[in-house]
Amino acid sequence: MHNFIYSLRILFKNKILIFWTFAFPILLGTFFYMAFSNIEDSEKLDRISIAIVENEAFENRQIVKEAFEALSDEEGLFNTIYVEEKKEAERCLANDEIIGYLFVEEEPKIVVKTSGINQTILKATMEEILQMESIIQVKIEKRMQESLEQGIAFDLTQDFFKQMAMDIRNAFEEEVSIKDISSSHLSYTMIEFYTLIAMACLYGGILGMTSINQILPNMSHTGKRISISPASKGKLILSSVCASFVTQLLGIFLLFLYTIFVLKVDYGNKFPFIILLAFVGSLAGLSLGIFIATCLKANDNLKTSVIIAVTMLGCFLSGMMGITMKYVIDKNVPILNKLNPASMITDGFYSLYYYDTFDRFYMNVGSLLLFALLLIGFSMYQLRRQTYDRI
Amino acid sequence: MQKTIEVKNLTKKYKTKKAVDHLSFSVLEGEILGLLGPNGSGKSTTINCILSLLHFDEGKITIFGKEMKPNAYTIKKEIGVVFQEVAVFDELTVIDNIDYFCGLYIKDKKIRKDYVMDAIKLVGLEEFTKYYPKQLSGGLLRRLNIACGISHKPKLIFFDEPTVAVDPQSRNNILDGIKTLREEGATIIYTTHYMEEVEQLCDRIIILDKGKVIASGTIDELKALSSIEEKISVEGIVLEKERIEEIRKWEYVEAVRYENSILVVTYKKGKNNLTDLMDYFREKKIEYNKIFSERPTLNDVFLELTGKELRDSYA
Repeated sequence: MHNFIYSLRILFKNKILIFWTFAFPILLGTFFYMAFSNIEDSEKLDRISIAIVENEAFENRQIVKEAFEALSDEEGLFNTIYVEEKKEAERCLANDEIIGYLFVEEEPKIVVKTSGINQTILKATMEEILQMESIIQVKIEKRMQESLEQGIAFDLTQDFFKQMAMDIRNAFEEEVSIKDISSSHLSYTMIEFYTLIAMACLYGGILGMTSINQILPNMSHTGKRISISPASKGKLILSSVCASFVTQLLGIFLLFLYTIFVLKVDYGNKFPFIILLAFVGSLAGLSLGIFIATCLKANDNLKTSVIIAVTMLGCFLSGMMGITMKYVIDKNVPILNKLNPASMITDGFYSLYYYDTFDRFYMNVGSLLLFALLLIGFSMYQLRRQTYDRI
Repeated sequence: MQKTIEVKNLTKKYKTKKAVDHLSFSVLEGEILGLLGPNGSGKSTTINCILSLLHFDEGKITIFGKEMKPNAYTIKKEIGVVFQEVAVFDELTVIDNIDYFCGLYIKDKKIRKDYVMDAIKLVGLEEFTKYYPKQLSGGLLRRLNIACGISHKPKLIFFDEPTVAVDPQSRNNILDGIKTLREEGATIIYTTHYMEEVEQLCDRIIILDKGKVIASGTIDELKALSSIEEKISVEGIVLEKERIEEIRKWEYVEAVRYENSILVVTYKKGKNNLTDLMDYFREKKIEYNKIFSERPTLNDVFLELTGKELRDSYA
C-alpha cells in the first residue's frame, strides 16, 4: 500500500505523463470536435445504395436473399436495386449509382470500386450474414436429425417449408440483427472519437513503462535504491502497475466526462460496454508499456518515443486519419488488424454500433485480454530475475 | 571485533573481461573502510555484488555472519546505500522522498516519522522539507540522497562518492554526518577520490586495481609502503628540458614531474634535499614563486601503486 500510494503521487506529479495521459487526448478530442462538427450535418450517412444480381444462384441462397430483403426495406440500411445481369451492376457501379454489388456464383461475392466506410459496412454485413447462414444451416440439420431419431418421416410438405421459413426468420431475428443506422448514423466524428479512446487507452503504456522503470535497478537510480531494500520485488511491481492502471483509468474517465459533457458526444445506449472495452483496452495499453520497458534496453525518453510511435501507428492503421486505412488493411493485411490493439479497440466500438449482437464485440474484448496477458506474462518472465549481469 | 562483511574469492566477469578477480577482504564491525581505486578498478562492481544487484561468477559474500543473497531480506533490512548518482523522485518533496524510501524498510508509521525527522536533522535539511529536488542546490541534493539511504538507521552503510560536486559547507555537513553515524554504531564502506576525506574519515583503506586488492591497511601502514621519503614542490618555475634531466640524475631522486610551471621532485631518502635544490636554482639563476617540502601523501602512495593519480583517474 505504501508503494501504491507513493506511486500514484509520483505519477500524478509527473508533468510529461499527465500531458500524454490526461491533456493530450482531451486536446485532440477538442481538435476533432472543432474540425468535424461543422461538417457533421453534411456528412450524415445516407442509406447505402447497392445492387444485387438476381441470378439463380442468388435465388438459391435463401438466407442471404432474406437478409438483404430485410435490410432493404423503407427504413433499412441499404437502398437496393435488383438487376438481372452482372453487366448492369457493373454499369451502375461505374456510374457511381451504387457503392458496390452482390454477385452470387458459387459463393456470394461483394464487388466494390473504391474503399470507404460504406464499402466496409457492406463487406461487414455480408460476412455477418454468411456467418448466420451457417448457424441456421446447423439448426436445420439438427431438426432433420431430430426427425430421424423420433422416427418421423422427414417430410417435404408445405408445412415443413413454412416451419423452416419461420425458423429461418426467427433465427435471423435472434442472430442477425444488424442495426439500422440510417436513423442514428455513425458519423465521422464518432469514428474519430472511438479511435481517440483507443489511443488514450494505449497511452497507458507510458504509465506502465514508467512504473516498471522506476523500480528496476538496471533502468533507473531509484530502481537501484529500491532493489536493495527488503521489499518484495513482486509486490513492488504489482503495486506500481496497479497505481499506473488506476491513473490510466482516471485519464479515460476524464476523457469520457469531457467528451460527453463538454463536447456533447453521444455514445448511445451501450455505454457500459464502451466502458468495458476502454477498461480492457487500457489494460492492453498498460501491458504494451510494461513489455517495452522490460524488453527494450534504452533510456526513458527513447522508450516513451517508441510507445508513442507504436500507439500512433496503431491508431493510424486502425483508421484515425481516415477510415479508409482500416479497410485497406482489412483487405490486404488482415493479420495486422488482428494484432493491432488499437484496431481491436476501434473494431470493438464499431461492432457495438453496427450490431445488436455481441459476438464480435466479445471477440475483440477477448483478443485484447489475450494480447495483454501474453505481454504481461512475457514481461513477468523477464522480470523474475533478482540479479543482473550489468547495471 | 566481529566481521560485518566477509568477501571471499569474489570473481565477476563481463563477458571475458574480469572486473573483479578473486577478491577477498573483510570489514570489521564499527569501522569506516575506505575503498579506493582508479576508474574501472572494480569498486562499484564489488559493491553491487555485495548488495546482490549483480550476480557473480565465483566467491562467497557473508554479511552479519549470513550468506548474502537477493532474497536475504533480514540482511537487506540492515543495509543502507548512498549511491554516487542522486536516486530520488523529482515528483516528491524532500520529506516525502525520505519517507518513501524509509517506508520500504520501516512499516510502522509512527516510528518511521521519527526516523525521517532524525535523517533530516542529520543532514541538515530542516529548512527544506517541503522543497522538491529540483529546487535544491547540488550540495543539498546530495544531502537528500544521503538521508534517503540512511533514514532507516541501518547497521551497515555504503557511501559511494557522496561528496562529488558539492560545496564545502555541504561536504563538511556530510562528513560530520558520517562520523555521527559511525559513533552511533554503523559500519561504513566509503569510496571517494578525495584523499583528504579518506585521511579524515577512514580507519582502514583497501586499494583496488584491476579487480584485485593491491594494498590494504591503516593510513600510516599504507604510507609506510611508499618508497618515497620526501616530496618537494616548486610552483611558478620555468625550466628547460636539460635542467629537468640534470635533476633526475641526482642521487636519491625517485621521480621528477614538470607540468604547468609546477615541478615536483620525489626523493627515496637523503638529507638537505630542499636546500640542495634551492642552491641549484640560485646557481643556475632560475626563478620561482614558491617552494615547499612535504611527507608523501596517500595520493603519492596511490600513484606509486596504481600508476595513476586518484583524482585524475576519475576525470
